[in-house]
Amino acid sequence: MIFHELEHLIGVPWVIQATLFAAVLLLVCGFMVRARVAGPRGGVIPDEGTSVRNVLEVLVAWLAGMAQDRMGPNWRRYFPLIGTLFFFILISNVIGLVPGFLGATGDVNMTAACAVVVWVFYTAIGITTHGWKYVLKFTGPGLFDLHIGGRHIHVRALAPLFLPLELLLDLARMLTLAVRLLANMFADHTVVAVWLAIVPFAVPAIFMGLGLIVAFLQAFVFALLAMIYIGLSLDEPH
Amino acid sequence: MRNLRSILLWTAFLVLLPLAAFAEDGTGGSSWGYALGAGLAIGLAGLGCGIGQGLTAGNTTAGIARNPQAAGAMFTNFILGMVLIESIAIYGLVIAFLLQGKI
Repeated sequence: MIFHELEHLIGVPWVIQATLFAAVLLLVCGFMVRARVAGPRGGVIPDEGTSVRNVLEVLVAWLAGMAQDRMGPNWRRYFPLIGTLFFFILISNVIGLVPGFLGATGDVNMTAACAVVVWVFYTAIGITTHGWKYVLKFTGPGLFDLHIGGRHIHVRALAPLFLPLELLLDLARMLTLAVRLLANMFADHTVVAVWLAIVPFAVPAIFMGLGLIVAFLQAFVFALLAMIYIGLSLDEPH
Repeated sequence: MRNLRSILLWTAFLVLLPLAAFAEDGTGGSSWGYALGAGLAIGLAGLGCGIGQGLTAGNTTAGIARNPQAAGAMFTNFILGMVLIESIAIYGLVIAFLLQGKI
């Protein structure tokens, strides 16, 4: 484990090293694609074969279509965070599969940080979009209507029951986002390690292939849930 | 139905038998209850989660078989349903970890 060795040498925790490593990889990929697209006629003519640019373009287009469905007309404002999270988690998960390397998503500090970022982001979006009415998201349905001076007022009589539960559910989103990613990656690495111990030839490769699917799926699930939470914050509370 | 009931009764019996056995043992300070609770928490959460995910997967497959052109639209909802059901198992896992810390 190369990051553990480095931790002994320079004293920086391995999670930070793995995070920086993934970030540098992403930045290099990004600048490569940017240079390619900004080059002469690069923006119009696609590359031949499988290049970094083609792969990234397919993934981004697919993710953007999904964001459009989930987050409405203003999806472009929120898309940078979704895309960053998706690619960062994807690349961290895949790094974790390479023998000798550790992915940053294998540590609770990393996944919890991502989950907290998502929570703060969608809460801030809800508050800036709806103002104080964002609180109405947590108070349950209106039980009956009052008509006072031509105004309709929803009386949310069930609010005392709904408020604690809804707040708990909202905070549990953070917990589940963090633990889902961590537990899936941990289980995946454990399966590969166990098979490496049993049959150290050829067979673990099958489970590494399975791990590749899990790595992609978990990154997608994280991004999808972030999109859905943002979409729910954008909805009018009723 | 009767079969299921007898299975449940036998499971309860086998789970409760060691409780009674150890209760008469009277060794104070042992924390087998926490260990049992941790195992039951993740085990039962996994049981319910498995039933739910099985229903989701089965019904999505049936839906795709009936209308293969809607597979793309169904896939996102399928993943979403899987993920939301999975969070219940995650609650069980968290409780199991909390209990494990007390052993």
